[in-house]
This record gives sequence, C-alpha cells and structure tokens, in this order.
Amino acid sequence: MDYFLQQLINGVTLGGVYALIALGYTMVYGIIQLINFAHGEFFAAGGYMGVIIISYLSAKGVSPVLCIALGLGLTMVYCAILAMAVEKVAYKPLRSSSRLSVLLSALGMSIFLQHGLMLTQGVYDKPYPTAMTAGGFELGGVVVSYMQIYIILITAFLLVALNLLVFKTRIGKAMRATAQDKVMSALLGINSNRIISLTFAIGAGLAAAAGIMVGFYYGSVNYTMGFVPGIKAFAAAVLGGIGNITGAMIGGLIIGMVEIFAAGYLSSEYKDVFAFIILIAVLYFRPTGIMGENVDDTRV
Amino acid sequence: MKRILILMLVLAISLVSASAFAETLKLGSMSPLTGPYAADGNDIANGVRTAIEVVKSEGGIPGFDDITLSAQDTACDPRQAVAAANKLINEGVNAVIGTYCSSATLPSSEAFDEEDIIMLTPGATNENVTERGLQNMFRTCGRDDDQSKAALAFMTNYLKSKSIYLVDDKTAYSQGLADNVEKASGAAGIKVLGHDHVNQGDKDFSAVLTKVKAANPDVFYISLQNSATGALLLIQAKRMGIDAVYLSQDAVYHPQLITIAKKDADGMYLTFGYVDTSAPSYKKFIKAYEPKYGKPGAYSAYAYDSAMAYLAAVKKAGSVELSKVRTALLSMEFKGASKTFRYKENGDSGSNYIIRKIENGKFVDYWNVQTGEKF
Repeated sequence: MDYFLQQLINGVTLGGVYALIALGYTMVYGIIQLINFAHGEFFAAGGYMGVIIISYLSAKGVSPVLCIALGLGLTMVYCAILAMAVEKVAYKPLRSSSRLSVLLSALGMSIFLQHGLMLTQGVYDKPYPTAMTAGGFELGGVVVSYMQIYIILITAFLLVALNLLVFKTRIGKAMRATAQDKVMSALLGINSNRIISLTFAIGAGLAAAAGIMVGFYYGSVNYTMGFVPGIKAFAAAVLGGIGNITGAMIGGLIIGMVEIFAAGYLSSEYKDVFAFIILIAVLYFRPTGIMGENVDDTRV
Repeated sequence: MKRILILMLVLAISLVSASAFAETLKLGSMSPLTGPYAADGNDIANGVRTAIEVVKSEGGIPGFDDITLSAQDTACDPRQAVAAANKLINEGVNAVIGTYCSSATLPSSEAFDEEDIIMLTPGATNENVTERGLQNMFRTCGRDDDQSKAALAFMTNYLKSKSIYLVDDKTAYSQGLADNVEKASGAAGIKVLGHDHVNQGDKDFSAVLTKVKAANPDVFYISLQNSATGALLLIQAKRMGIDAVYLSQDAVYHPQLITIAKKDADGMYLTFGYVDTSAPSYKKFIKAYEPKYGKPGAYSAYAYDSAMAYLAAVKKAGSVELSKVRTALLSMEFKGASKTFRYKENGDSGSNYIIRKIENGKFVDYWNVQTGEKF
C-alpha cells in the first residue's frame, strides 16, 4: 500500500507538470488550429530564465521565498512576451496560408529556439539552487518532498486561475468566441489578433512555471529539456481532446500516472510505450479524445 | 595499348611514392563534441591537441613537416560516428583517437579496419571493442569486465554486501557493465534484488527509485552513460531516502556530477582507473594542458596518452603503414600521464581500476583493489 501511495504521489507530480505544458498546446490549437511545436521550448526557456533571475536575486541577499515568487512571476512574463514575439514573427504572417506551412514554421521556430538556447547558455547542464526548496517529510513509509507539494499546489492554483479566466471573465468569453468563429467574433467587435496573442502568452506563461518547477524538482536544466516533455504534453493534449482545457489537464495527469505506474509495476524501459498505448487505445474508441465531444462551447 | 599501360604504371608508382613521402601526419579525433556527453568529448579532443603540441615543441617527427588534427563530433550516436569515420577516411587521416562511447566505437572501428587506419580509444571500455580480432584497434583505458571485478571485490571484501540493485540506461557500455556486475554478484553470492533499465534522456526516476527503496538493497549500483543524468538520479535517490551504499562507474566520474548534485554527491563510490598524479609524466601533461584548456576531465589524460603512444610508434617505425606501426606499438613501453602501459596482442593496455569516493565535494582515492587496502 505504501508502495502504491508513493508511486501515486510521483505520478501526480509528473502529471501536473505535463498538464501545465499541455494547456499551451491545447489553447493555441483551440484558437487557431495550429500545433505549436515550439511550445516545448518556452518550457526550456522558462527553466533557464528562472535560474538566472533566482541566482541573481539570491546573490543580492533577497530571501528565498521572495526569490522564488519573483523568479516565477518575472519568468512567466518573460516567456509570455517571448511567445507573443514568436507568434508575430512566425505565425501571424502565415495566418491565411495553408495549415501545413504554419506547422513547418512552428518546427523551424522550435529548432531556432533550442539552438539559440545552446549557443547562449552552453551545452552543459545548469544547476538549480535546490537548497531553497530542499526537505520533506515521511508519512507512514511514504516520502513526500516539499517540492512535490509545491508543484501540486502551484499547478492546482494555476489551473483554477485559468479556468476562472476562461469561463468567468469577459476576456475568457472573447477567447471562446474567437475559437468558435473568428470572423463572426470580429464583426461583433472582438480584436481577434489581440486575443490570439494573449492565448500564446498565457500558454507560454504556464509552460515557464512548469520549467522552473522542474528545475527545482530535478536539480538542473538543459537546452534539450523541452523536447521530450513537449512531445509527452502534446500527447496529453490529444488524449484529453485537443482544444479542450479540462481535457488537457486530465490528459496530462493520465500520461504522468501511466508512465510512473508502468515503470513502477512493470519496467522503466516500457514506460513510454505504455503512455502511447493508452493514447492510441483512447483515440481508437474516442477519436476526439476523452473530453473532445462538447468542443464547441468549452474550447479556447 | 602498351603505351597506355606504361603510362598507368608510372602514374600508379608516382601516386604510391607520393603517399609514402607524405609530409603531413594527419590525426583524426572522434568524440561527442555536442549533446549530453559534450563535456567528456571536448576533454578528449583537447587531450589529443595537447599531445600534438608537446610532440611538435620537442621537434616533431622525422620525415613529417607538420602534424594536424581533424576533430569530429560523434554525439555518441552509432550512425553519426560512422558518418564521421567516413569523413575522416575521405580526408586521408593516418590514425584516429576515439571514440568515447563504446556504442560509437564498435561500428566506426570496422570502417577504419577496411581502410587499415589505426584507431586508439581513450574511453570505450566495453570488452567487445578488443575482442573482434581487429588489427587496427587499440585501447588505452581499462575494460568493463575488469571494472566489474573491481566493483565486486569492493563489495565482497570491503563492504561485505549481501544484496544489490542495479540500474542502467541501456547503452552498449552502461548496460554491458551492469550485466557484468549482475552476473559476477550472483556468482559471488550477493543477492540480486533487481536490475532495471531507464531510457536515455530521462529526468524523472521517481518510479524506479521507489522500487529500489522497497527492495532495500545493501548496494545500489548506478550505471549511466552521463554524469549529468547521474547527478539527477542521485538527487532524487537521496530525497527518496534510499539508505544504501551508492556505487557507480567511470562514465559518471566528472566534476559536473558534483556541481549539479552538490551535497547529495557526497559518500558515493566510483570505479575509475588509478592515476598517479605525482609521476613526472603526469606533471608534464598537466603543464602542457592546464594553461590552455583548464582543469583536465576524466578522459583528457587517456586521449593524450593514446596520441603520444601513436606518435612515438610512428617515430620508431619510420612509417605510417598499419603493420609497421602495430609492431612498434606492441614492442614499446609507454610512460603515460594516466599510467605506464604496454599494448597487448589484442590491443588492450591493461586495467588498473581503483575505488574512488566523493568526500566534501571532491573525488578522493579510497580503496586499492590490488592490495585490498584503503589509500
């Protein structure tokens, strides 16, 4: 039982990270039907920017809590701006061309951002000041680290905040309207370019938060770190029903849990295989994904 | 017809003689210069550069005006390694120092074998590297079967362990070594509680570490291809509270391990070749290496020794022909920076593994496998 609970905690933590990244894929797809392959790089850029800001602040003698809060906030803003710039440069000029050319542009942007990170930050891993968040407790044989608690809490907070934004505010309503029908919503006075820009910004901000939490949780960041989690999060978004926010959260949690339980009860060798078997199985029976049916009124 | 034949003969002779009196000695190096293993790869290229600089400053090699180096990137990938090998063959190199990863060394050495180009590896420890009867293959570092014996001797004679759990990341090197340790442990009566494989590029080891913790072994044997990954695993293992002796191997041996894992690296044991840092040959190497390339990494000295041995053999043989250089290499004893050695018939140079320990953020010599005593 202890063993099961321990793996459950591990799975929820990993799933939370995937869910945060998956939201960016799903929101962008919902609004302009683009699979933004550069999205994993916002996660990596966030991981790097976070450690740069946090190290700088802590060297100035700022308290750890303030360091992390400021680091998290500033990095999310930085990645949001980065994503808006990417959208302006790589996607907006192609808005009326075929979906394939935008997809290629996204792939190119991903390679550009990843190698930009390599050239400016080097090929070696960059260590995180893990001492700030070290520690944990044991509860009847189950070890829980504070960082796992932080990840789960911060992820839950961001998910709730995002839900409120999308379903309870005017901006959210404008986003949903743009997702449903760009032309009609524009006729009704919604600035669709601004809404699209905002969607990119929010998605990248969430990925940046995930990047910092991963840095603290695992201890270092690397320029290639965006690739694998990016693919997994994309799978999570498809599993949940791409375009659907709740679906992306559920998909992320499922992929994370399946990975951990496959590694825990079978073998680590096959954890990726099982994650993708689940994906294929769900798509076979429900081609639109788990939450994919009521696409029209909840997608963004 | 006759005239054409004569013309061709003359042309052929002139080509042969041109290559025999080549004025530049061309060395190639192959190692991962980018990607996750870039740290070790650049150390290797720099070791070869240092050897060339030292030989040149001592007057070079009679019959050659210059010694050049073409440093190629393998990224530790078998396919890229073969492509790099073909590039070096096209460039007409006389010998190659490399590669770092066994999985990249095995296929590329066969390409060089077809062209009779000598290959000296500073880092590939998988035993198959020198077990294929290749005449062109030499190895300056140790072998994994010896490395696993060193690990086993430490576990049985010093730690008196009863049980072991192994984790590797499925490369020719890391899995081969873990398999050796598993087999030897079983034969020596150490209970193997599990042997798990993780994927290259994994960051999250929580599931497999939970398994290790539940198994509660005396020794947790970690065989990964990369020191940064090793650091991530260590951090998570310590957080999980795995109360075992952490034992690892030579690929994880890199200053990067301590920079990333910090306090969590303390107390870990590793098998690595013994290097006598007080020997004059080591001091000579450090004097040439450090001002230009900084502190040497784990494999800088082995790369330097491989290149020095080859250049000395060419000097002795007075030729770059495979059979002559091979005879010279086998007949000489080299006082290298890493160790004093002599190549054997199969290309090996002998292993001298010891146990090192990380104490207060530093690697220290800990236990001598030969004598069974602490340093």
